[in-house]
Amino acid sequence: MLDLSAPYIQRALLEMLLLAVPAGLLGSWIVLRRLAFFAHAVGTASFPGLVLASAWGIAPPLAALATALGFGVAQERLERSGRMGADAATGLLLVGCLAAGVVLASDVFESGAEVDTLLFGSLIGLTAGDVWLTAAVVAGVVALEAGLRRHWLGTGFEPAGARALGLRPVAADRLLLAGIAATAVVALDSVGALLVTVVLVVPAATARLLTSRLAPLQLVAMLLAAVEGVAAVWLADALNVGAGPAMAVLGGGVFAAVAGATALRARAVPA
Amino acid sequence: MSAGGVSVRGLAGAYVPGRDALRDVSFAAGAGEIVGVLGPNGGGKTTLFRALLGELPIRRGAVELAGRPAYVPQTERARLDFPVSAFDVVLMGAYARTAWFRRVAARDRAAAQAALDRVGLPDSATASFGALSGGQRQRVLIARALLQDAPVLLLDEPLSGVDSVSAARIEALFAELRQEGRTLLVATHDVRQAGEWDRVLCLNGRQVDYGRPAAVLSPETLRETYGGDLIVLEGGGRAIGVGHHGHAH
Amino acid sequence: MLGWLTDPFASPILQRALVELLILSLACGPLGVWVLLYRNAYAAESISHGMLPGLVVAALAGAPLLLGAVAGVLVAAAGIALVARDQRLGADVGVAVCVSTLFGLGGMLALSPQSPPRLGELLFGDPLGVSGGDLAVAGALAGGVVVALLAGHRSLALVGFDRAAAPSLGARPLRWELALLVVLAVTTVAAVQGLGNLLLVALVLAPAAAALNLARRLAAVLALSVALAALAGAAGLVLSFHLEIAAGASIALCAVVVALLALLVPAGRLTH
Repeated sequence: MLDLSAPYIQRALLEMLLLAVPAGLLGSWIVLRRLAFFAHAVGTASFPGLVLASAWGIAPPLAALATALGFGVAQERLERSGRMGADAATGLLLVGCLAAGVVLASDVFESGAEVDTLLFGSLIGLTAGDVWLTAAVVAGVVALEAGLRRHWLGTGFEPAGARALGLRPVAADRLLLAGIAATAVVALDSVGALLVTVVLVVPAATARLLTSRLAPLQLVAMLLAAVEGVAAVWLADALNVGAGPAMAVLGGGVFAAVAGATALRARAVPA
Repeated sequence: MSAGGVSVRGLAGAYVPGRDALRDVSFAAGAGEIVGVLGPNGGGKTTLFRALLGELPIRRGAVELAGRPAYVPQTERARLDFPVSAFDVVLMGAYARTAWFRRVAARDRAAAQAALDRVGLPDSATASFGALSGGQRQRVLIARALLQDAPVLLLDEPLSGVDSVSAARIEALFAELRQEGRTLLVATHDVRQAGEWDRVLCLNGRQVDYGRPAAVLSPETLRETYGGDLIVLEGGGRAIGVGHHGHAH
Repeated sequence: MLGWLTDPFASPILQRALVELLILSLACGPLGVWVLLYRNAYAAESISHGMLPGLVVAALAGAPLLLGAVAGVLVAAAGIALVARDQRLGADVGVAVCVSTLFGLGGMLALSPQSPPRLGELLFGDPLGVSGGDLAVAGALAGGVVVALLAGHRSLALVGFDRAAAPSLGARPLRWELALLVVLAVTTVAAVQGLGNLLLVALVLAPAAAALNLARRLAAVLALSVALAALAGAAGLVLSFHLEIAAGASIALCAVVVALLALLVPAGRLTH
């Protein structure tokens, strides 16, 4: 049974519940605006930032955030040049960041241990500071959502018309990417770079199978992420596996179940 | 089965089982006829075409075609950043009849250039498809359909947002194809245009009416087809359909 | 000057590495062009992670690891194609859902909170560890990919250019979208042991991105992509030798630089 009095469990649960908020709010935008690759890449691409942080003694979260935001800026520039598709730009930048990280890391990391933590996260290793940072980012995301939601809604469907309505698509889009970048960075600690999408994409994708309206989509995604996150902590503790993989399997299982049920339900209606 | 054309009886089809996208469609068009297909966006024009192409699960009814139809979809569906020239695009019309290990026949290459000549783009063979104007791109896609040499052609809003030179050439082409005995189904929002063709089919999730324009294009039928999205200019019963395209040519 | 370029290749290790890279350029170049035209870059980057549960299951069951790896990526490819069919979600969400679930499953099956075995190699590979046997595998793979893409060339072009009209022109979109994912999956399994995922993705995406910006017609794009991949490989090895940095990362960086430089060239084809 889960030992709720253990501080590390409390922190883990709190972290997952906090992450459920952007999983719902931003995750919905990620699914609607086809930003899944970006969400995956921006977390992974913070790798060189973390290497430099380790070498120069900067606080890792700050370095990761700076790298992630830089990634977002570069991505947006490349895309706006019109010469390269969005996914090509993301792929190139990701590869470039990882390669740069490897070159820098060869002197800094002797073993692959720190690399593995980057990739898989360590929910057990969360400090109070990590959780506070997550809370701060979540607060920022909530503020962005409150302020920019109608901009994001407008530009999502018709960028040219949005400007006519007085919205500012470029600035609003940049802030959306920034919000995703920041969330990916704080999620790294708990689930690892390769599984950021488990938090940011999978619950929202599952919710998308059930509704197409924004508010219910965000709410359902948030609830799913919260339930899956808590269950993942319990499962990770019970089976002594990582929380990231646990949530991945839960999230995938729920998605498959919902996909199967909705497809089946449609077929059950008499012809 | 008539020697040419399209025959549809009691057609009903659905993308998602249990929710019909189209139902109660029955009409027949023979060789050398142009049918204007009217209806609001989402009302079933594209769905009908997909059913005729065999891509929509048909729940009920029957479709008979003189041969596999050629399809000219709305222009913006084709990729503008794809590395192809106009000639490359037209030549795609011959792919279905060329084995994968053979070069495309010289005869088909000549026919591709002839098709470009026919749509009024004799010198555009080497131009990048994405660099052409909207009307020119539409004509290239029609040239591709010409190369398929199909007895039935399905065209999805070929004239919307197209410059007047291209439009004139396309309409002249329709007349030529009719002369050749082919059957054309043209989805359009232009009610006036549809009134000049042989038959009109009005769709709004189901068949509202089908027949000669004079009989079908009454204000009541149009209102039933378009719901509220209709501006009717009184005097001679002329009506203009209002649709939202989102095109940008 | 010439010595600077040829010195690295005095050693047999680097000679073999160069040969392997040249061979794999034949596969990665054209594959990358199709991957980008089909907007599948995310799948290219992530599909290797789908190998993990296959590897673990194979190891636990005592079956050949290669079999497990192939099974894993094919399951991933099928899952991605399945989710991509739903227009509300699309291919990218499909990759996110399928790959993260499979990867997580692999992580759990390994039954340890630490990383699963060989992950570092999977990600960051070692092109300098190439053996003669590896060259044979690379040759077979490259040959297979080239043949497959040539055979499917027209259908891939039909579906990639105009998905709506493709069926009427003789190519069913879902079939060819899946076929491309399968070729990508198989290439990944065969190449990732030697190159590592980072380098593989770089050679697949970057030369193709450059070629698409420089050439106007498909045949030229495909050929140029092979040439640029080979160039990046050779340049990367030279730099790795002289600057004493990891070969894989060096080649990857050269490839990315080539792609970015291509952006500076004024449009080889007119854009709208």
